[in-house]
Amino acid sequence: MDAPRGLRSTHAGTVDPARVRLLSLLFMGLAHLTILKQRSKGLQFALVEVLFLVTLPVTLGKIAELVTLGDPAPSVPVKMRPNSLFMLIDGVTVLAVLAIFMILYLVSVQSARSAAVEINTNGIPTGVKSSSNPMNDLANKAFPIVGLAPTFLLVVFFVVVPLVFSALVAFTNYSTPEHIPPAATIDWVGFENFARLFGGSAAWTGALVRVFVWTIVWAFAATFTCYAGGMVMAVVLSNSRLRITPLFRAIFILPYAIPGVVSLLVWRNLLNGAFGTVNRTLEALHIINDPIPWLSDPLIAKFVVVAINLWCGFPYFMLLVTGTMTSINGDIIEAAKIDGASSWQIFRRIQAPIILYQTMPLIIMSFAANINNFGAIFFLSGGDPAVSDSVTTGAGGTDIMVSWIYKLTVNLQQYQNASVLAIMIFLIIAPFAIYNFRQTRSYKEGEL
Amino acid sequence: MHGPTPTIATPPKKGRAAKPVAASSPHEKNHALVKTVNTAVLVTFLLFISLVVLWPVIHMVAAAFTPGQSIANMPVIPFTEGVTVEHFAYIFTNTEYPRWFLNTLIIATLTTVGSLVLASLGAYVFSRFSFQLKRPFLMSLLILNVFPSFVGMVAIYVILLRIGAMDTLWGLVLVYLAGQLPYTTWMVKSYMDNIPKSLDEAARIDGASHFTIYRTIILPVAKPILVFLGITSFTTPWMDFIFPKMVLRSPENQTIALGLMSFVSDKNNFFTNFAAGSLLVAIPFVLFFVLTQKMLVSSLAGAAVKE
Repeated sequence: MDAPRGLRSTHAGTVDPARVRLLSLLFMGLAHLTILKQRSKGLQFALVEVLFLVTLPVTLGKIAELVTLGDPAPSVPVKMRPNSLFMLIDGVTVLAVLAIFMILYLVSVQSARSAAVEINTNGIPTGVKSSSNPMNDLANKAFPIVGLAPTFLLVVFFVVVPLVFSALVAFTNYSTPEHIPPAATIDWVGFENFARLFGGSAAWTGALVRVFVWTIVWAFAATFTCYAGGMVMAVVLSNSRLRITPLFRAIFILPYAIPGVVSLLVWRNLLNGAFGTVNRTLEALHIINDPIPWLSDPLIAKFVVVAINLWCGFPYFMLLVTGTMTSINGDIIEAAKIDGASSWQIFRRIQAPIILYQTMPLIIMSFAANINNFGAIFFLSGGDPAVSDSVTTGAGGTDIMVSWIYKLTVNLQQYQNASVLAIMIFLIIAPFAIYNFRQTRSYKEGEL
Repeated sequence: MHGPTPTIATPPKKGRAAKPVAASSPHEKNHALVKTVNTAVLVTFLLFISLVVLWPVIHMVAAAFTPGQSIANMPVIPFTEGVTVEHFAYIFTNTEYPRWFLNTLIIATLTTVGSLVLASLGAYVFSRFSFQLKRPFLMSLLILNVFPSFVGMVAIYVILLRIGAMDTLWGLVLVYLAGQLPYTTWMVKSYMDNIPKSLDEAARIDGASHFTIYRTIILPVAKPILVFLGITSFTTPWMDFIFPKMVLRSPENQTIALGLMSFVSDKNNFFTNFAAGSLLVAIPFVLFFVLTQKMLVSSLAGAAVKE
C-alpha cells in the first residue's frame, strides 16, 4: 500500500531538468513561474529582466558612446558639445550595471536548477514551506540580500567604477590643454601613454624611473626605521626599572596621538630653510653657520622625510611590539634566566624572533601602506624640491608614486599619465594583496 | 662584544634597593658601578628621545600662545616672547572655525554610524550565510582594500557631479563610507567567524529571525571590534585633506583640515593661528589615545596574533 503511493507522489512531482534549464535560460524567472511554481521569486526575476529589456536602448547607446567618446564639435557652443568625460563614466557605470544583471541571471538559472533538483528528490521545493507568519518569513529570506546590498552597491559605484575608470583613462589622451571636456573631446589612443612613460619621452621616462626607485627605497626605509625604532623603544621601556617609565611611555605615544597632518605641517614650518625654528636654533647654538636647506635640497630632503616619518611612525610599532612582548610566555624567559642567559641574549634569542614572527604580517602590510603613504610626503615636503624634469613632469625630488599621481591630477591635469601610474601601483601592490589574503584565517582553514 | 653590557650573567634579581656601601668585595663594588652607569645611560637615552619627541610639540603649543604671525616671528626658546590668547580669539571670531568643527563632526559621525551598521550587516551575511559568488566577493573586498581611494579621484568627482552631491557633506560621507567598507567589512567578518556558530544556531532553532540573531546575539559579542573600527572610522575624516578639498567648495562647507591648511598654504603663513586651531583638535585626540593606551596595545597585538 505504502510503496505505490510513494512512487506516485514522486512521479507527480518530477520536473524535467533540461526543460527547467531551457526555460530559465530563455527568460529570467520563466522556469520559476511555470513548472517550478515559485511565483513570487519568478516574478522578481522576471521584473529584473523586463527592466533590463526596457532600458536596453539606453544601455546600448551608452556603450556606443563609451566606444566613440563623442566626435569633436567645435561649431556648437561649449555647453552643447559632447562631453567625453560623462560618456566615459556613464559607460563604465552601465558596464557595472550589466555585470550585476549577468550575476542576477546566473543566480536565477542556478536557483531554478537547485529548485528542480529539490523537487525531484524531496517532492516539494523548500520555498513552499511556510511558517506561521508569511511576512516574517519574507523578511527573513530577504535578510542576506538586504544586508549585503548597500555595501555591495556603494563599493561597486564608488570604488570599483572609479578604479575601472582610472584604468581606462590610461588608454586615452585625457589631459590639458587640448583634451579637456567639455571644450574638447577625449579619444582612445591605445598604448601611447605607456610608450611615452616607458622610453618614449626622455623627461617622462627619467621621472618615472626616478620616482619608482625612490618609492621603493622610501617604503623600505620608512618601514625599517619605524619598526627598528619602535622595537628599540619597546624593549628599552619594558626592561627599564625606573619609576617614571610610564611617563616616558606616555610621552612617546604623543606622535601617534597627534593627528598626522598637524605634526607634519608643524615640522614643515619648523624645518623651513630660511626662517624655520630648527635652523635658527642650530645657529643660536653655534652648531651651524649657514642655514641647512632641509626641504629644498633633493638629497637632504629625502633623509628628512624618512626621519620625520620615523618621528611620526615609531610609536605604532612601539605599541605593537609592547603588546606582542606581553603575550610571550614568561616561563621561557624565567627558564633562560635560570640557565644564566644575559638580558641581551634573552632578547636576541627568544624575544626578538617571536616578536618578528608575530608582527611579520603587519610589517609587510606597513610596507605596502608606505608605498601609498601620500600624507607623509605631501604634507611635509609637498614632493618638492623641484629637480631638472619637474617643469614638464611635475615630479619633485621627494615625490613618490601616489603624490605624483595627485600632482598630475590636481595641478597639471595630466590625467592620462596619472592613470598609467595608478595601474603601475596596482601591479606593485597586487602581490601584497595576495599575501594579505593568504594570511587570513579563512584562507588557511580552506573556506576560500 | 656589546659595549658596556656585562657579559657575565646577572645573578637573580638583587631587588631594587641598591646595596649600601657595605659591599666590600671589589666585585660587588664593580657591579654597583656598572648598574649606576647603566641607569645613567638609560635615563640619558630616554631624556634625549623625549626631547626629540616633545620639541616640535612644545613649539606648536608655544606658537599658539605667542604674539605674531609667521614661523619667522617665533622665538628659538618657546614662551619667551609673551603670552597671548589672541589667536584663539581670532579663529573664533574672524574665521569659520566653529562651523568647520561642526561640519567635520557631522561627517565623522555619519561615516562612523553608516560604516558600522553596513559593515556589521554585511559581515554577518558573509560570516553566516553561504551563497553563490561569496568567494569572489570576499576576494574583491581584500583586493580593493589595498588601493588608496584617491586613485579614482577624477571619476568620483564626476560621479558626485552627476548625482548632485558636489559641495555637500553627504556626498563626502558617501565617498568615505564606500572607501572604508571593504576594510571594515572584512575585519568584522573575520571577527564574527570566531564567534561560535552554536550560539546563533540555538536561537535559530528557537525560531529567531536572522535580524533578531544579528541584533541580540552577534552584535553584542562583536562589540570590541566594532568599537575599535568605530574609533578608526571616526578619526579619519578629521584629518583627511584630499577628498574634502575636491568635494567641498563653498566657505561654509569646509572641514577642520581644509581650514587649517588654508592658514599655512603657500600664499599665507599664519602659523600661530594654525597652531591654535591644531591645538584645539589635537588635545581631544591626545587625551583619548593616552587614556585608551592599554586597549590600543591589546587590540594592536590582537591584530598581530590573530588573522
